[in-house]
Amino acid sequence: MKRKNKKFQKKGSSSLNKLSLFQRNDGKFSKKCPLSIKNAPVVDYKNIALLKKYVSDNGKIVSSKITSVSYSKQKKLTREIKKAKILGLL
Amino acid sequence: MAFYENTIVAKQDLADKELKTLKEKYNEIINKTSGKVIKIEEWGFLNLATKIKNYKKGFYIHYKFEGNNNTLNEIEKKIRVDGSVIRHLTVKYKKLDTENEFFSKKT
Repeated sequence: MKRKNKKFQKKGSSSLNKLSLFQRNDGKFSKKCPLSIKNAPVVDYKNIALLKKYVSDNGKIVSSKITSVSYSKQKKLTREIKKAKILGLL
Repeated sequence: MAFYENTIVAKQDLADKELKTLKEKYNEIINKTSGKVIKIEEWGFLNLATKIKNYKKGFYIHYKFEGNNNTLNEIEKKIRVDGSVIRHLTVKYKKLDTENEFFSKKT
């Protein structure tokens, strides 16, 4: 039951002094979703400037773990990116 | 009746006249088959991300229209036979926003 002590742990330890690679990285990935805020940009296959941010150089879709996009928006993103790829825009 | 968006990617080596006829051809097809064109956008020549049928550039024409099953079937049929269209995409929307233009000519 280590999870219950989460608050206590956060105070003392930074994200750097963890024991193993697979330990949860508290604090580091707690960014809020950039597409769910007020006046967020439209996720659409025509909005290529936005979609390019979420695609790697090789054309892969970047995982939401890295970009901290919420689950529903990530689903929408993948759909729109695939549409853009059909048209040869991305 | 529902709202749709249709995008056509035409070949690079077409003359201006041919592009105009292509644009009006699909405009007529939509209007004839119980549909209604709301807006036509021309995105112009854009670079393709990857080579498609050995073309590096394509001419993009974008339709926003209202229609039904009949309209869609007719367009699909015509596009599939059309040799001057490389790729096409039709998307259904609940609402169309005609204000935002992501490919306006300022850039």
